[in-house]
Order: sequence, then structure tokens, then C-alpha cells
Amino acid sequence: MSDHGHAAHHHKESFFTKYVFSQDHKMIAKQYLLTAIVMGIVGIALSALFRLQLGWPDEKFGIMETLLGSGWAPDGVLDSNMYLGLVTLHGTIMVFMVLTGGLSGTFSNLLIPLQIGARDMASGLLNMISYWLFFLSSSIMLASLFIESGPAMAGWTIYPPLSVLEETQPGSGLGMTLWLLSISIFIASALLGGINYIVTIINLRTKGMRMTRLPLSIWTFFVTAILGLLSFPVLLSSAVLLIMDRHMGTSFFLSDITTSNGALDQTGGSPVLFEHLFWFLGHPEVYIILLPALGISSEVIATNSRKPIFGYRAMIGSILAIGFLSFIVWGHHMFLTGMNPFLGGVFVFTTLLIAIPSAVKVFNYLTTLWKGNLVFTPAMLFSIGMVSTFISGGVTGIILADAALDISQHDTYFVVGHFHIVMGMSAILAMFAGVYHWFPKMYGRMMNKKLGFIHFWITITCGYGVFIPMHFLGEGGMPRRYYTNSEFPMFDHMIDLNVVISIFATVGVLSQLFFFWNFLYSALRGPKASQNPWRANTLEWTSPVEHMHGNWPGDLPVVHRWPYDYNKPGQAEDFVMQNVPLEPGEEEH
Amino acid sequence: MENKFLIFIVVVLGVLALIQLVKVYEMTSKVTGDKSQENITPGENLSQAVLFLVFMFALFGGTIYLMLEYGNGGLGEAATEHGVMIDDLLVFNWWIILPVFFIMNGMLFIFPFLYRRDPKRKPVYLVHNNKLEMIWTTVPAIVLAGVIIYGLRTWNFIMNPEDEGTVIELYAKQFDWTARYSGEDNKLGKANFKLVTGTNPLGVITTEGIAESFETIDTEIDRLDSVLLANSIEKYIDNQKTTEYLLPDGKVAEMSEKIERLKRQKYRIKSGLEIERNADADDAMAANDVVVKGEMHLIVDKTYTFYFRSQDVLHCAWFPHFRAQMNCVPGMTTSFTLKPTITTKDMRLDEFVIDHYKNINTIHNERKRRIGEEEEVVDFDYILMCNKICGASHSNMQMKVVVETEAEYKNWIESQKRFDGGAVSYTIGAAATEELAQEIEE
Ligand code: HEM
Ligand SMILES: [Cu+2]
Ligand SMILES: [Cu+2]
Repeated sequence: MSDHGHAAHHHKESFFTKYVFSQDHKMIAKQYLLTAIVMGIVGIALSALFRLQLGWPDEKFGIMETLLGSGWAPDGVLDSNMYLGLVTLHGTIMVFMVLTGGLSGTFSNLLIPLQIGARDMASGLLNMISYWLFFLSSSIMLASLFIESGPAMAGWTIYPPLSVLEETQPGSGLGMTLWLLSISIFIASALLGGINYIVTIINLRTKGMRMTRLPLSIWTFFVTAILGLLSFPVLLSSAVLLIMDRHMGTSFFLSDITTSNGALDQTGGSPVLFEHLFWFLGHPEVYIILLPALGISSEVIATNSRKPIFGYRAMIGSILAIGFLSFIVWGHHMFLTGMNPFLGGVFVFTTLLIAIPSAVKVFNYLTTLWKGNLVFTPAMLFSIGMVSTFISGGVTGIILADAALDISQHDTYFVVGHFHIVMGMSAILAMFAGVYHWFPKMYGRMMNKKLGFIHFWITITCGYGVFIPMHFLGEGGMPRRYYTNSEFPMFDHMIDLNVVISIFATVGVLSQLFFFWNFLYSALRGPKASQNPWRANTLEWTSPVEHMHGNWPGDLPVVHRWPYDYNKPGQAEDFVMQNVPLEPGEEEH
Repeated sequence: MENKFLIFIVVVLGVLALIQLVKVYEMTSKVTGDKSQENITPGENLSQAVLFLVFMFALFGGTIYLMLEYGNGGLGEAATEHGVMIDDLLVFNWWIILPVFFIMNGMLFIFPFLYRRDPKRKPVYLVHNNKLEMIWTTVPAIVLAGVIIYGLRTWNFIMNPEDEGTVIELYAKQFDWTARYSGEDNKLGKANFKLVTGTNPLGVITTEGIAESFETIDTEIDRLDSVLLANSIEKYIDNQKTTEYLLPDGKVAEMSEKIERLKRQKYRIKSGLEIERNADADDAMAANDVVVKGEMHLIVDKTYTFYFRSQDVLHCAWFPHFRAQMNCVPGMTTSFTLKPTITTKDMRLDEFVIDHYKNINTIHNERKRRIGEEEEVVDFDYILMCNKICGASHSNMQMKVVVETEAEYKNWIESQKRFDGGAVSYTIGAAATEELAQEIEE
């Protein structure tokens, strides 16, 4: 760990209570971040492996056999069941561990107390438990990669009956049991975290910190936590029902099934019910990932444009609208399940409504940049990148939301391209932005900017290089979750496209070394940060560089203005921190 | 081989670059001291701003290149009536989406260059502007209203067909498709999953099918019983008869459970299926069905409704050229109505398709040579594939679809067998006259 030598300033702590079972939100944030980074390495390494298979289906790769064993990759040729296992774990790890647990866990924990002027989270104990449940859940998910019958293989959406019946797929044995266990624990962690964030934001704001003076980052963390609180229990209950179908002979999701074991007893259930339950979480989930990403970018963009965020209230309105709408659109994942066409039509309508607040957000970002004084810190680069992917991925969502078009796009690579750009890339880019921006706050040191620049340009190039071509695979009719496309000569003209994608993917994955190196090296030996390195307005930059319990020595800061007073007319400096009182006669904004 | 080499080079270069960078990093942080990483120099700021412009051209250039090279996707024109509507709607959507993509990304990447930090310029303190915000809330709303209305009209047209046409069942299981034509009466015989046996894979309900399933169940029960018997020893402990098995406990339990389950199944067939049945009518409905595997034939310009069922897990019928897709859900029947408009033959005569398949043949056989398989000629074919993850061979669950004239179809279907084993006879124009009669009636 990187913090060193200042524990002596405060009351005595043992190594364990300080670094392991810490209840300090800053330490917990760092724990979340490190866990997420480790899970992220695994997640993208898995994608690199199956990209090798998709790019060069006829080659043998020694590395596969080395990593997966001769059972799953005999002679370096990936097994088709294991292919699905890798895809499933990749998706699960990326969505849940990295971009839900990791993103919210890191930045909500770090920033909520510091930006609202609180000494810590409402409950340090719950916070600690939340992290350790997350850790446990991540460990179980990793462990499932190493069992003999393989990890879960039914896709990250684990639709029954595939996920219930072991005879239909080896991964639906112990692998799926571990998956369900891991995710159930994960949900418990997310709920504890979410409750804590909400309570903290509502109750522990410092004097003067009205809701309408909160930085947008806090607003997004707030709405995200509410979304999680309302939707994760539904996933938990569907996981429980699934477990009962698997082990107790119930039939919530099963009916009229004949397998190699003969006709099953279970009748009367429906897999479609599971899909409804899953997507009732699943869609809000994408906003659980996206909103914090948007929040982080808002802070970074305002600070580095040296200009107030444009349309602060409209931004809050959009966040709330997106949060609300995200609960009534889940059916757009199910247009082709035999759903009543009229109901499908309703979901088309609600889904396309979300495009409006999303568009408002993008326009507001653009206007914030317009005539600003842009400083290209690595965080700023990543945030601009994030806005770009939010645009590029968002527009193709209009196609997928249109039920009639979904008939010809559903479950093709078009979808894979779409959700990776709008969800995967946007959120990952914003997460990087957050790390570069708040690294000085976390570790008291600076990351290297040059490595940051290189990291950004390679990452965004490779990201687009991987996911834009996937749209064209999809237009060619190529289904997702295919182990190989060689069974269909009609896809042969896209062989080279798949090679290009895989090369970009490999380079993109490897380029993350720039980041890991920068991160580790800077955490240990980077130059010491000054208190407010980016000249930002928010409260976290008024707390001392060296971490301390309670965040501020002496009294808590008092807030007098909103967080976006950059280049305010009549002010000498180009920024005015939130705790600076209004001058006589000064309007708030 | 080349590709492996490429990867190797990339890795080596990456590592070298990293080592160099670390050296530079060490030196700069020593020389320039604390603040160097906090301040972005004007030079750096300019170079990043320029890179945004460069990146914009690369992104746009790459996207346009892909659109030109792969934009038509290789599927060719839609080969069904509703498919054309979907394609039109898609083009309409692209005309909205692409300008948004280029304009918004364009602004996003040009602004960094235009408004890069300049200490001499003071940014405007622009907090909000109600008029602007109203505009960019209402304009997207209006555009989206257009998208929604056009989209829903198409969706409703596709999903609420006026006329069912000819009925075909598509039955999915790991990992193949079976098609069942409804025969002269255009009615599918009823089916039930409990009757699925090796000889009645679709579980069609007929008197014979039920008898057969009883036979299969009895045989299986007998087999299991005899295995258990052969491996058991009867013992008298304290004058009480107990049975001990030579097999592991788990195995015995599993087998006994299976026996119980089979007995239950038989009971359910008896009580559920057999009693309520109108045997003659049901048998007749099933008798003229035609079950085919591997290849499915359709008549051009004729409306078909597919009814989808699944035996085991979720599957999804995906006809890329028809722009048709529907999930196959165990326990539930779903349907999709479509009308193919181009025969396979005509499609093969299409200029685009000819060119396209020339290219595909070259690539296909290059690969065949590389992996040491025999070369072959591939030609255009309609295809049905599975598009919902369903297990190990999900990526090879396919069925060829042939669209042809009625005369050709007659030839083909008459070479198949009826469900009751009889010969199929197909009268050309029968369906058409029937349709006509119906129309006149109305
Ligand atoms: C190096 C970067 C990445 C590459 C090359 C990559 C590639 C892929 C590919 C090829 C698939 C399989 C698509 C299919 O067959 O359905 C996939 C699935 C998926 N990826 Fe990624 N991905 C990357 C990063 C991410 C990120 C950052 C996320 C975070 C949201 C993500 C989330 C998912 C999900 C949810 C799936 C679906 C899994 C499933 O079908 O069960 N990926 N990815
Ligand atoms: Cu959704
Ligand atoms: Cu399938």
C-alpha cells in the first residue's frame, strides 16, 4: 500500500484496521479500485483469449493450453463450451465487478464524503462489510474459472433452461452454482453500499451544501444508488428462484422440456418470466454503470474547460429523467420473445424517450467545451473520449430500440458493437478519467501525464477499432456468442474484418500496461501532489493531501456557492472554491 | 503464421516502449521536480488538441471506409415482403443517425482545437440559456416522434399479418432444426413434449405415438429395473428382508428416481393426453403433416406462418436474408409470418450476389487450402441459423432454406413422406384457389 508514515498523526491503528478491515471511506475506495483493477485485468484478458479464437479460428495458440489446460484447449484449440464460458465470465466480470462494484465502489466512496463535506460515510462498518462482500464475490467468480466442469457458460444473462439443466451444458453445474452464489453476495454488497451512499448524501451534507449546490458527480452517485436499491433485489429474487429450479424441483422458469434425461417433471413455468425479471434489473444496470461515468466526466470537463458546466439544472433533470425512464424500458431486450406486439410498441416508445435527456446531456457537454479554455490533462482527454463514445454508441441505440429493426439486428454483432461503445467504452474511459483526476486525492501523488496521454490515444483508437467494425459484422447478419463463424461460408468475406478487430483488441489490451505501470509506480514513487493540483472548486481539494480520519483538521468546510464558479466575472482567479464566501453584492450564479 | 508474428512484434515493441518511457519518466520527475505532472505545458496542450483533429479524421475516415466496403453487409436485398420495409426503415434511421454521429463527434473533436487553453482569452461565464435548452430538447423530441411513428407502423404491420398463409412448424433442439409442414389441411397435428421419443422426435400426438411412447417408457423402466436387479443382493438381517446394491448409492438413487419419473410420465400421458383426446380428428390432423430435416423448401410469393417450438433450451430462429427472427421458447409457441419474394435461383443471378460470391469463393477456398481441406464451390443459399445461446454447437445449428417456384416445390415435397408414412401429393394452385374462394366469400 502506498500511504505510509503518517498513521502516527492520528490515534493508533493496527496494520489490520488501517489497511485491511478499514472503515475509512478513502481506504475502502482504494480497496475497491485495486480489486476492480485486478478483476479488470482478468476480464479483458479473457476477451483477448476469445478474440484470438474469433480472429484466427484455425490457428493453435499455445497460450490457451497453458492458461486453460489441455482439457479446455487441447493442442491450443479452444473448446467451444469453454469459449462460451470465457464470454460469460468476461461479460459478468466487466459489468458487475469492474463497472458496478469497481466504478461506484471507488468513486462513490471516495467522493461522497469529501465532496459533500462529511467526515466519513454514514456507517463505516456497513461500508467495510460491503467491500469485503464484494471481495468475496469477486474471489468466488474467479475461482469458478478453475473448476473441472468449467465456469458458467450460459452468457452473462444466464437465461434458463440452459442455466438450469446441467445436461444441456457443462457450465450449468458447479460453475453456475458459483456464479449464482457470487452474484448473490455481490448484490448484498451493492445494497449495503447503496444504502450507505443514499443516507450519507441526504444526511451528512455540510453547512450550506444544498442539494442544488452538489457537484453533478454526487447527483449521479445518488441516483445510481437509488436505481441499484430498487433493481438489484429483483435480480436477487430471480437468482433465488433459479436456484430453486436448479436444486429443489420447482418450475418457475421451466415447462415442457425434454432432455437427454427424458421429459422433465417441471411444467407450468416460463423462461420468459426470468427474462422479465433479469432485464428489470438489467436495463437499470446499464445506467448504474453509465450515470457515475457521466458524473465523473461532468466534473472533469467543467474543471478543465475552466468554465461552468452548462445547464446545471437541466443536467440534474436529465439524470433524474434517465433514472426514472430506465425502469420502464426493460422490454426492449425482449421484442422477439413472443411478447404481445402492442406491449412491444409501448417499450419502443419509452425507450426512445430516453434519447431525449441523453441528447440534452451531450449538448450541454458540448456547450461547456464551447469557448472554454481547455486544459488537456489525461483525465480531460478520457472525459472527452467518454462523451464521444456516449454519442457514437447512443445513436445506434435508436436502431435497436425500434422493434421492427430489432427483428434484423437482435443478438447480432451489431448489438455487441453498440453496447460495448455506449456502456463498455464510455464507462471504462470515465473510470480512467476518474483515476487520473483523483489519483492525487487517493495517493497524494501524481500520475505521469505523458504515459496518460499515450494510454488515452491507444485506448480510444483500439476501442473504436474493435467496436465500430463489429457493427458491420452485425449488418452482415453475424450472430453473437458464436464460437466460430466458419460453419457459414456466407460470413467468409468478413474474415479479415475479424482479424482486424482481434489485432486492435490485442494491442488495446496490451496498451493497458501503460496504465498499470503508471498506476503502480506513481502510487509508490510519483511526485508528491499539491493540495489542489487541477485548480478545482469542489471540497475534496480543501482537505489535506495526507489522508486523515475525519477528512478535515478542525471544523468542516462551509459551503457558500455552487461548484462551477470557473472564470466568474469580477473574480481575480479563474476558479473560486465552494467554501469561499460570496463577496458583498455577488450573485450566486 | 504471419499473424502470430505480428502479435509477437507488437508485444516486443510494447515492452520496449514501456522500458523507454519509464526511463524518461524517472529522469523527468527528478529534473523538473514536483509540479511537472500537474501543469500541462502549452506545447503539450497544443499537441493534444491537434491529436483530437487527427483522431477525428481517422475515426471518420475509418467509418466511411467501412461503410463503403462493408456497408451493404453482404446479405443483399431483403428477400421478403416485410424485409424490404425493414430495410427502408433502417435506411431512414441511418439518415438521421449518421449526420448526428458526424456532426456531434465533429464538434466534440474540433472544439478542443479551437478552444485549447489560451491565457489571453477569458472564457465566457455561461451558466445556462433557456432558449437554447428548449431548442435541443424539442428538436430531438420531434425527430424521435417521427422515428417512433414510422417504426411502430412497420412493427405493427409485420406483427399483425392479415392472413396466416401456409403453416409450418419449426422445432428447435440442441443442435438442429426440424420443419413440419402442415399438409393439405394446413393444420399441424397437436404435439406434446411427453411423447418425444427417438421415432417421434417432435412428440406429435397420435394414437400410434401414444402407444409408442408407452412402449419406450416401459422398455426403459424394464431396463433400469433389470440393471438394479442384476446388481442387488437380497439379505435377511434380523429376519428382515433388505436389498443391498453393488452400485454406488448415488447411482442407485438416480436410477430409482428415473424409474419413478417414467412412471409418473406414463400416468400423466394416460390421464392428461389420452382421455381428453378426440382421437380420430387429431390423428387425421397429424397424418398429412410432413416432417423434414436439413433443408426446408418454400414457394416464392406465398405467405407462410412459422410456429416455433423448442425441446430443451431457448433457441432463436434467425433468417438473415428474410430479415426475420423469433425466439423458440420451451413451453410456449411463438410465430412469425413472412412472404419470400425472390427464389434462390433468381438470387444467384443477381449481379451483386454473383460478385459477392466470387469473392467469398476465393476467400473460402484460400482458407480450405490453408487448413488442408478439400476445396469446394459455395453458392448463395438462404439459411436459418440459431441466434440465442444454446450450448456447445450453437454456432453450427443451421438449416438450408430453398425458395423456389410452385412446380419445383411440388417435385420436392412429393419426394418426402407424410407423417403417417404415406406418399405426399401436392396440387399446384390448390392453395391459390382456396385463397381466392376465401376472398370471394368475404
Ligand atoms: C478489450 C476490450 C474488450 C473486448 C475486445 C471485448 C470483446 C467482446 C466480445 C468479442 C464479446 C463476445 C460477443 C458475443 O459473442 O456475444 C464480448 C462480450 C461482452 N462484453 Fe466485452 N469486450 C471488451 C471489453 C468489455 C467491457 C469494458 C465491457 C463492460 C461493459 C464488456 C462487456 C461485455 C458483455 C456484457 C458481453 C456479453 C457477454 C455475454 O454475451 O454473455 N466488454 N466482449
Ligand atoms: Cu436495456
Ligand atoms: Cu440453438
